[in-house]
Amino acid sequence: MNNRRNFLKQSLAGSAVISLSGAVPDFLLGTSRKIVKKNDDKILVVVQMSGGNDGLNTVVPYGDDEYYRNRFTLAIGKSNVLKVNDHIGFHPGLTGFDRLMNERKMSIVQGVGYPNPNRSHFESMDLWHTAHQTSSDGWLGRSVETSLASENLPAIHFGSGLQPLALKTSNKPVPSIRSIDNFRLNVLRDEKVKKQLAAVIKAPRKTDNALLGYVHESATVALETSLRLQDFGDKQNGEFKYPQSNLGKNLSTIAQLIESGLSTRIYYTTLDGFDTHSNQGESHRSLLSDLGNSVEAFMKQIEAQGNLDRVVLFSFSEFGRRVRENASRGTDHGTAAPVFLFGSKLKQPVVGEHPSLQDLEQGDLKFQIDYRSVYCDLLTNWMEIDPRPVVGKNFQTPGLFD
Amino acid sequence: MSDINPQTAWQPFEPSKQQPWTTQRAAHLLRRCGFGGTIAEISQAKNAGPTKSVAQLFQSTDDSKIEKEMLQAGRLVTGGVDSNALASWWLLRMIKTPSPFLEKMTLFWHGHFATGGEKVKDSRAMFRQNQLLRKYALAKFEPFVKNISRDVAMLIYLDSEENRKTRPNENYARELMELFCLGVGNYTETDIKEVARCFTGCEIRKNAFAFNEYQHDNKMKTVFGETGNFDSTAAIEIVLKQKAAPLFIAKKLIRYFVFDDQPISNQLAQPIADSLRKNHFEIGPAVRQILSSKLFYSEHSIGKKIKSPVELAIGFLRFFEASTNINQLSQQLVSLGQLPLYPPNVKGWPGGRKWINASTILARANLIAGILKNPKTKYRDGNLEEWVQSHSQFQSDSLQWAEDYLFAVPLSAETKSAFQQTNPSNREPERILSWLSALPEFQLC
Repeated sequence: MNNRRNFLKQSLAGSAVISLSGAVPDFLLGTSRKIVKKNDDKILVVVQMSGGNDGLNTVVPYGDDEYYRNRFTLAIGKSNVLKVNDHIGFHPGLTGFDRLMNERKMSIVQGVGYPNPNRSHFESMDLWHTAHQTSSDGWLGRSVETSLASENLPAIHFGSGLQPLALKTSNKPVPSIRSIDNFRLNVLRDEKVKKQLAAVIKAPRKTDNALLGYVHESATVALETSLRLQDFGDKQNGEFKYPQSNLGKNLSTIAQLIESGLSTRIYYTTLDGFDTHSNQGESHRSLLSDLGNSVEAFMKQIEAQGNLDRVVLFSFSEFGRRVRENASRGTDHGTAAPVFLFGSKLKQPVVGEHPSLQDLEQGDLKFQIDYRSVYCDLLTNWMEIDPRPVVGKNFQTPGLFD
Repeated sequence: MSDINPQTAWQPFEPSKQQPWTTQRAAHLLRRCGFGGTIAEISQAKNAGPTKSVAQLFQSTDDSKIEKEMLQAGRLVTGGVDSNALASWWLLRMIKTPSPFLEKMTLFWHGHFATGGEKVKDSRAMFRQNQLLRKYALAKFEPFVKNISRDVAMLIYLDSEENRKTRPNENYARELMELFCLGVGNYTETDIKEVARCFTGCEIRKNAFAFNEYQHDNKMKTVFGETGNFDSTAAIEIVLKQKAAPLFIAKKLIRYFVFDDQPISNQLAQPIADSLRKNHFEIGPAVRQILSSKLFYSEHSIGKKIKSPVELAIGFLRFFEASTNINQLSQQLVSLGQLPLYPPNVKGWPGGRKWINASTILARANLIAGILKNPKTKYRDGNLEEWVQSHSQFQSDSLQWAEDYLFAVPLSAETKSAFQQTNPSNREPERILSWLSALPEFQLC
């Protein structure tokens, strides 16, 4: 069963060593060997849905008339819902999720949120990212620093623009990568001068300017990571049907890096556009089908590699949306919403009860499961990381894993 | 480094023996109030002194020629759905303008009233908004907010174009208070719902703002404790009456002009907020006070910001009086995290340390190297070799020259000696400049 996987690992590890062994100094060779070591460590892939995903139109409570009373134009008709059970079903754009659910490779966790909900995108996202901790770093950044500091490249963010606060560390920054192909210093023709430049950029600074220290640290991480990833490149694999989208591309690259045996434990990427205040119907459908198809292709590729047992994908948004739709055929900022997990070690298809559509708080759903207990479960029972320094204390876990 | 004293921070900076008016301070002013000066401009500011140099920013320069050209060019590049050509247009304006301060302020307001071309899908509306931001850049904030609330691009971006009384859309009301006027924590969820009711009836008809009285909620609303049958204008007036408003704008201006990392306490920002209040919320005098202050010329400020991608690219081009392939430049700015007219979201670009990550730090060095490599790049209509030949200081000591004019922070002795080891030859200015601009020190402003 694992022949293919081992073969790939050996050949990739081998090729990395061969291609580096010519002109490259030994210390580099050492690190590159280390990052393609044989590895059975668990991996977490996070897909952030930015903007506030409408949970009610993602996992539709089609068995509840109250849903149809509140969603006069946006409701998904009973016959269009991709049914999960007698009460809930997926938005018709989520055929990818539907198939993964039938293969028992996913869990829906219902009504996830936190007390005293904040309806500002930025504030609420910050809470999810920091796990309600006052320190200025993120929950995954803290995980890296408390438990994965000895790894060479513990976490990578794939995406353009800003790095999510979740990955913020106090010391060594987590690299953000737009695409591997462009991820290199493309300055100066003379290789010798270029190497000297890289050495000068990396050389420690004696400065009391903390900002310079930060830029210097980021540049050092960038140069080191770039050297490590140079051999991988953005090879898209046509065998798996990824959508032609940024998310599809990022997940495909992540799958490829996992296959190559990179020791990275946390990958993070984002799908933006869920802030659907007006004319939600079509834009929400295309977002969900991008999400569903990208995640499905990713899980298929991971399975084909033989890595299904060591990868979990987790997807969340900063909040759900108001139960009642607004007059612009859209929905305003709300509170609790479902989160999604994908993998082979998940215990139940649906975790928790759908929040009541009648017992509301300021027109919004009451949360059932604190997101920090989901984090705790992921950290303790999947990543085997002590959750206390990350989320502050041990939350009772919802029992996501076998 | 001494602590910041809020009592004296905003007093006017007066050069003294301990704190003389140097080339470094003159260059600092020009980097912050625009995109950095040319050598001639820096020398001019050095000779003029701080008071005169700042005063000059607020004198109207004759922009009529470029204004006319840019208006024509702006009309030419707009009309379609996407705003990429308009973004190039704006970058070109930043390079060519005799009033970089005005563009810097316009860019500030673009980040503040962030509106994204990918959702607006109407480059003409984005163009009109850009002109509006420029018009009010240093003017009074209240009419500015009233106008931006009726701006077509903004109406589309924040879904305010279709706000009906039966179930008001809260998006604009929320961002008006959270991001535009007051900041988080200075309003309640009830205020949002009530202000959203004031904004009902807003529509777009024939590409312009229209008020539909049939869709306006004509009942009483209670906003910040005041009750009345308010409309959007009244709601804005009530919002801006809140004590939090001038403080919020003062903090944002301080963050933009002074430093990235230092926390800005209420106490520190209060004098600037007071200046806004005293001047009927006029932006110009507050900015002038910031740019003239002791704090601005202190070690707390010099070299204590990270250049935004636009500042990095435009600053480099303006320094060499250079022109390059502008469409290529704007596409490259995407990988640095800042294409004008395409902010990441309604909160604009967060700036500071967020500009820098592993990808952007490499992309920054690559962008400058790309400009230098590009044969289409012209330096005051000539090539780079000709440009440096006319600057004797570069010929004699390129490192000292760079430290004086190009860097906001000093280079370490180790960096300098490593630079010397590369055997820099004045005949290869491209090599020297791409080497220097890849350094972490070059990212600071």
